[in-house]
Amino acid sequence: MMEYNQQLKLQAYLDGELPEAEAREVANWLARDREAVALLTELRNTRQALAGFEAGFRVPESEDFYWSKIRREIERLEPVEAPVRPAIPWFKRLRGLLIPAAAAAVLAIAGLVVMQELGLRQRGTPGEAETALADAGTFTYRDFSARATLVWLTYPAENEVAGEDPIGTMD
Amino acid sequence: MRRYVISATCLAWLAIIALLFGPARVLAQPAASKFEAQLIWGTNDSKSPDPRHKPVTPEILERLKELPLKWSHYFEVNRRQFALATNEGKRIEMSDKCDIEVKNLGNSNVEVALFGKGEKVVKRTQPLPSGEILVLGGNAPNATAWLVILKRIK
Repeated sequence: MMEYNQQLKLQAYLDGELPEAEAREVANWLARDREAVALLTELRNTRQALAGFEAGFRVPESEDFYWSKIRREIERLEPVEAPVRPAIPWFKRLRGLLIPAAAAAVLAIAGLVVMQELGLRQRGTPGEAETALADAGTFTYRDFSARATLVWLTYPAENEVAGEDPIGTMD
Repeated sequence: MRRYVISATCLAWLAIIALLFGPARVLAQPAASKFEAQLIWGTNDSKSPDPRHKPVTPEILERLKELPLKWSHYFEVNRRQFALATNEGKRIEMSDKCDIEVKNLGNSNVEVALFGKGEKVVKRTQPLPSGEILVLGGNAPNATAWLVILKRIK
């Protein structure tokens, strides 16, 4: 059985593609091997048959035009069909829209409730308010750098409590 | 498809529950705050006639000097620390003549009432976050002053 490489070499020999030295080797090989001669003969006959067939065929138009006609005809007979999607029932489509819409709405409501709660708490906190009682006059000083609020009271008046205590009125 | 729909619905409900109850419950937790109140006597004398009085801490002195007060020396007469849960109030005796009533309103807000000789003199509501001080003061005999300093310490 002849190897594939040997078959290729015979084909190259037949096509005249081998260098001179290799061509000589192949010629010597052919002189010794009947199988090789038989294959070479078959290959030669095949080439001759193909060459004769090709020579007898002539395309009536230019090649490009000829093949373009064939392509157009194929396209006409087999129009490209768009993939048909299965029809989705309207309630499924509606459900598909309703789920995210409902979730967004409920989240928005929840957010509003939380914000309202926070807002009420914030509004519920009184900020700053001061009520002076017992005829006390007050003034308030706020020092942002010292982070301090000073509320100065005129009560108790010195003459009201003073004198009883060497240190002060409130201490 | 149906499984995904159920999963999405469950997730939405979980998110709603978390939104509704998570922050609200955290906010609703009654957080106890610790306060400190000091009764201070301000004078221009370098020494107090009362040996029990001690000079205020440098931090308080520095902050008092940033306020429009004319005294150069301040002595601590009394100091009280107390804890208040949210919406809890306490009356604190600072001296025989001076009480304060502090109520923790939550969200860093406090309501402070000052009593002189048992009589409510002033009531004030304001934010008092940690690090801030509220100074209530007035004139005392011999060109001195009394001060009540309230601060949140925790």
